[in-house]
Amino acid sequence: MSHIATEDDLFTLRRSPIDMAAIVRDGQDGAIVTFDGFVRNESHGRRTLYLEYEAYEPMALAKMKEIGQLIHEKFSIDRVAIVHRLGRLEIGETSVFIAVSAPHRAAAFDACRFAIDTLKRTVPIWKKEYFEDGAVWADGELPPAPPSAPKVAS
Amino acid sequence: MPPVLPNLRVNVLFFGRVRELTGIAEESVELPNGTTLAGLFDRYAARFPKLAAFRASLVPSRNEEFASWDTPLTEDDTIAFLPPVSGG
Repeated sequence: MSHIATEDDLFTLRRSPIDMAAIVRDGQDGAIVTFDGFVRNESHGRRTLYLEYEAYEPMALAKMKEIGQLIHEKFSIDRVAIVHRLGRLEIGETSVFIAVSAPHRAAAFDACRFAIDTLKRTVPIWKKEYFEDGAVWADGELPPAPPSAPKVAS
Repeated sequence: MPPVLPNLRVNVLFFGRVRELTGIAEESVELPNGTTLAGLFDRYAARFPKLAAFRASLVPSRNEEFASWDTPLTEDDTIAFLPPVSGG
């Protein structure tokens, strides 16, 4: 069990399908909780054709790693993997996959839930929804604004 | 004569709906020293009037960190005006 991010953690943005089998178990763990977010066939009652994701890639990766660091600090977990797809995704394709391993299930459930909730609020990734009659950027969530800049002595 | 302020150069990125609105993904701009994130945004709002209405729903970033609007810019900063995020 590790309270800090390790090189066994995994944070990636990718344009090809996510290979969930690559997220492996480790002998010291007793539980893995996974979150598989995939493309729904409708949005607010409109039939979705497909989605396109784009990211501010270096910042998105940095924020994903921060989430990993945070859940290592908050929960008794072993490893975390956070993978997000970019580009065009068809209905049913996995857009985000999170796996958290831990010695015991409660920490893995809590950490996985925290990770996906935080990702949806803080990682700079955007989704455009394509419908039969047009396309819209998903409403999304505004990341929490940081406090004002410290005043520089003049 | 008023003192001439030196200029600074920053890189500006746009994503999602603001990339589509401005038609710009990335550009380098020269600004007077002392310009803040808000000041830089105001320049873009003057250039793209529709952008002004978006300000309340944008969070700026400076060098890949969320930043407050009153943050002063420094040479070679990478700035982005980020729309509400919708990953997942």
